[in-house]
Amino acid sequence: MNRKSKIATRGLRSANAVAIFALLFGVVIRSYAVDSNVSVELDSKQAGPRTVERLTEAGIIRDYRFAWTSMSRALEFNTLDPLEGCFAGQAKDWLRHTVAQQRISGLSQRYIDQNHRLEAVFYAPEGDVMELHDTTEYQLQITEGGRVIHDEHVVMHYIVLMTPGADRWVIRQLQAVPQF
Amino acid sequence: MRLFLACAAICLAQVHFGEVSSAQDVDIRVPSVVVAGNQANISTGGSGKATFYLVGPGVSRKSDVSLGKEVFLSAQDLSVAGRYLAVLCSSACRSAAFYVSSAQPHTLAFLVHPSRVAVAQNDAVSGVALPFDLFDNLVLSPLGVNLQLTGGGRLLFSQALRTRDGIAWFRSSSGRSAGALQVTASLDKVSAQRAVQEVASDPCNLRINGQRTPTGVLVQTEPVHDCAGNAVPDGTIVTFSATDSSGKSTVDAPIKHGIARAEMATSGVTLITAASGVVMGNELRLGSQ
Repeated sequence: MNRKSKIATRGLRSANAVAIFALLFGVVIRSYAVDSNVSVELDSKQAGPRTVERLTEAGIIRDYRFAWTSMSRALEFNTLDPLEGCFAGQAKDWLRHTVAQQRISGLSQRYIDQNHRLEAVFYAPEGDVMELHDTTEYQLQITEGGRVIHDEHVVMHYIVLMTPGADRWVIRQLQAVPQF
Repeated sequence: MRLFLACAAICLAQVHFGEVSSAQDVDIRVPSVVVAGNQANISTGGSGKATFYLVGPGVSRKSDVSLGKEVFLSAQDLSVAGRYLAVLCSSACRSAAFYVSSAQPHTLAFLVHPSRVAVAQNDAVSGVALPFDLFDNLVLSPLGVNLQLTGGGRLLFSQALRTRDGIAWFRSSSGRSAGALQVTASLDKVSAQRAVQEVASDPCNLRINGQRTPTGVLVQTEPVHDCAGNAVPDGTIVTFSATDSSGKSTVDAPIKHGIARAEMATSGVTLITAASGVVMGNELRLGSQ
């Protein structure tokens, strides 16, 4: 075996090693990364008494997705910053309280592969409040210091109240119920 | 070798992230339903020490417990309606979920629009009522809400509403008299009141009179009212137009003390008209001086 082929063989082995480490750590990184894969669909055909316009629908989908992404970050990394602007009222209060308590208890929550199916059920005559039903499924992990103490795939039902803010729709109420 | 390493990597990853196994040495039983703001107990089975976690909206708590004894959950722990997760860990973890439902209505959020409305307008006033409990949870069970609209000490409109998914709404015409319209929503001992200012609608039967002056004509309206007899607010603009041999001139005059008045420079026979909004007044013809 000449010198060139030896170098080529060594290079191949190094590449294999890199690939194996990439596989190993790829799994790790994927598991710890913030899951931004939040899918949101909205059906507003049954909403009333005010009709939900197409641009309003787009705004709701955009802001609801952003709110859940932000909430996931806040509850995973125990930070309050992501909650600013997306939540108001009771929803913001309990989220802030949850983060504060998680900092003490050392727990965190991860919402993975979220799939939200929203149905607008009420849109106020003057457009100042909208109620939505969210049937969502995701993988919920609760961890303590990196150790998973709970891991389940859940299908959840949320009653959601959203109101228009200065430049976006904000969630004022996010209340999980056993069923609609 | 490569296959072995790949399998090892995946297995290591699964162990590292700990697929939660069902533990045989611990047992946990949660209440089926809890009303917000009430205490509850969670039963545990087994023996020895364990760590108990409660995770829910507004709560994330960890404590050491003795298996076989009940875990006490305070009213404060369970004040927010939603899904709670109780996790018990000793050698392995076991969990159970339960729901907290909203309590009795304590406040009524009541949104009414608009704050100012012209009288006798169809479907001009609307409102939304949302009952909340003491802990600001939306009360979702169907509830009866009584709605009343009163103006000038008289009941103008009433309706029995029923909440659906925590919301009741109404739409109504405005009253016929200018003044404060009181809109009241009540639910048992809870009530909320909002005020809508009703103002006169467009002028009705606009009538003008006038007289010659040394420099032209002085024209003014009679007291301006809407069709229901309410005085049109001061500041409402009345437009006077005068046509004489030299052409047409126009002047806007605000209503002051119920009357709009304007002085216009004209000569010869003059035809004067007045308008406010879409309402035209009578024509007035003044001869030459």
